[in-house]
Amino acid sequence: MKPISLKIKRQDGPNGRSYWQTFETPYRPFANVISCLQEIQKSPVTREGKKVPPVVWDCNCLEEVCGSCTMLVNGKVRQACTALIDNLEGPLTLEPMSKFPVVRDLQVDRSRMFENLKKTNSWIDIDGTHDIGEGPAIPDQDRATAYVLSECMTCGCCLEACPQFTLDNSFLGAATFSQVRLFNMHPTGATQKEKRLEAVMKEGGITDCGNAQVCVEVCPKKIPLTDSIAEMSRETSLLSIKKIFNS
Amino acid sequence: MKFRIPDRYHFLLLKLHSLTGIVPVGLFLVVHLAFNSLRTVGASQYQFGIDIINNIPFLILIEVFGIYVPLLFHSAMGFYLTFLAKPNIKIYRYPRNALYTMQRVTGAIVFVFLVYHVGTTFVPKMFYGKHLFEAAPFLIDIMNQEFETWGGRLIYLIGIFSATFHFANGLWGFCVSWGLIVGRNAQRNAGFAFAFVGLVLTFWGVATVWEFSVNPVSVEPNM
Ligand code: SF4
Repeated sequence: MKPISLKIKRQDGPNGRSYWQTFETPYRPFANVISCLQEIQKSPVTREGKKVPPVVWDCNCLEEVCGSCTMLVNGKVRQACTALIDNLEGPLTLEPMSKFPVVRDLQVDRSRMFENLKKTNSWIDIDGTHDIGEGPAIPDQDRATAYVLSECMTCGCCLEACPQFTLDNSFLGAATFSQVRLFNMHPTGATQKEKRLEAVMKEGGITDCGNAQVCVEVCPKKIPLTDSIAEMSRETSLLSIKKIFNS
Repeated sequence: MKFRIPDRYHFLLLKLHSLTGIVPVGLFLVVHLAFNSLRTVGASQYQFGIDIINNIPFLILIEVFGIYVPLLFHSAMGFYLTFLAKPNIKIYRYPRNALYTMQRVTGAIVFVFLVYHVGTTFVPKMFYGKHLFEAAPFLIDIMNQEFETWGGRLIYLIGIFSATFHFANGLWGFCVSWGLIVGRNAQRNAGFAFAFVGLVLTFWGVATVWEFSVNPVSVEPNM
């Protein structure tokens, strides 16, 4: 079998310039992008025979539930662990995501996503100095919807593929809106519904969605992101109309 | 420093951008195509339509504050938003993403077309005096000239198609971004419904262009 060839976009540090290097590793059945990277790491020598510093990347669970190995494989965003070589067209190209700051090589800093969850109060306050008791029961149907939304692994695919999300703007993006929906659905979380809605009614908020709907196509967890976005659009529109008459 | 809309106005301005595209700008497009299509029935019917519009009280105020100001606002916001985005249809080739890109491209085309269209109709009206123009024959004369060549017809066909596409797809965008249609199926069905609306409007416009092109009626100015 022909060896697997990987063209990798590299960058030595956050402010460094990017450059390409090509590596080759022997073909193995069932190999995925991560296993190829591990193979290269054993002896990081380019195709031209030059010894170079090992390629840096992030990965953790290796079963597409943690989201940390998200990168551009052949130009499209996805998790590297489930990118099986046999299903891909070679020669492969690997690049870091373009909408997040590069730390080194294929490793990016996705903390903007966490900051967005903080900005939108995307959690449920339960701690207090006293026992606040059990929350109300959730109807099964809502629970099923919430379960799907809760599968988000903050991987960043939906943001990388979004034409409205750029490296230097403040757009919150599909994942965040979907989390706002999730926590607003929860009976205890709903006590802070308006606070969350107001957080997505600023610059970078729900109005900045352009409905290109690429997010829902690329989400590896098949989260109904466009439903979440439209639902949040409805809630914020209603809140703004309510405010005209009630404020 | 990049220009930023203050947070207090951001939501409001973007909602207004979406709203003005439907009312009054989109509504105007429908009325405009409807009145112009009177030309397919006959020159006198067309003239009758123009006379009705010209007899609307406070017409100039309606034109300025009901059409030009909202249109300029919608265009300015549209260009501002377009330049902030990074279209990626070459990489992520999905139908909705194509429509997203088309929406921005057609918006820009319509703007350029309107500069031309207003330049050849409204500007002469200001230039030659309203009393002459009101007589409709002048307008018909202008339009006959516009549709004399294939170049002129093409400009109008492109302008009309861009406008109807932008409006029909914008109707869909409006319904989604105001939260009127939420679910995936609802959004898909609405997409087909609005595509039909777009086709009807396009047909209307093309029929008018056709009539002007193959059947120019010269009307003598009655002065
Ligand atoms: S919504 Fe989907 S694509 Fe977006 S971060 Fe969560 S899991 Fe990834």
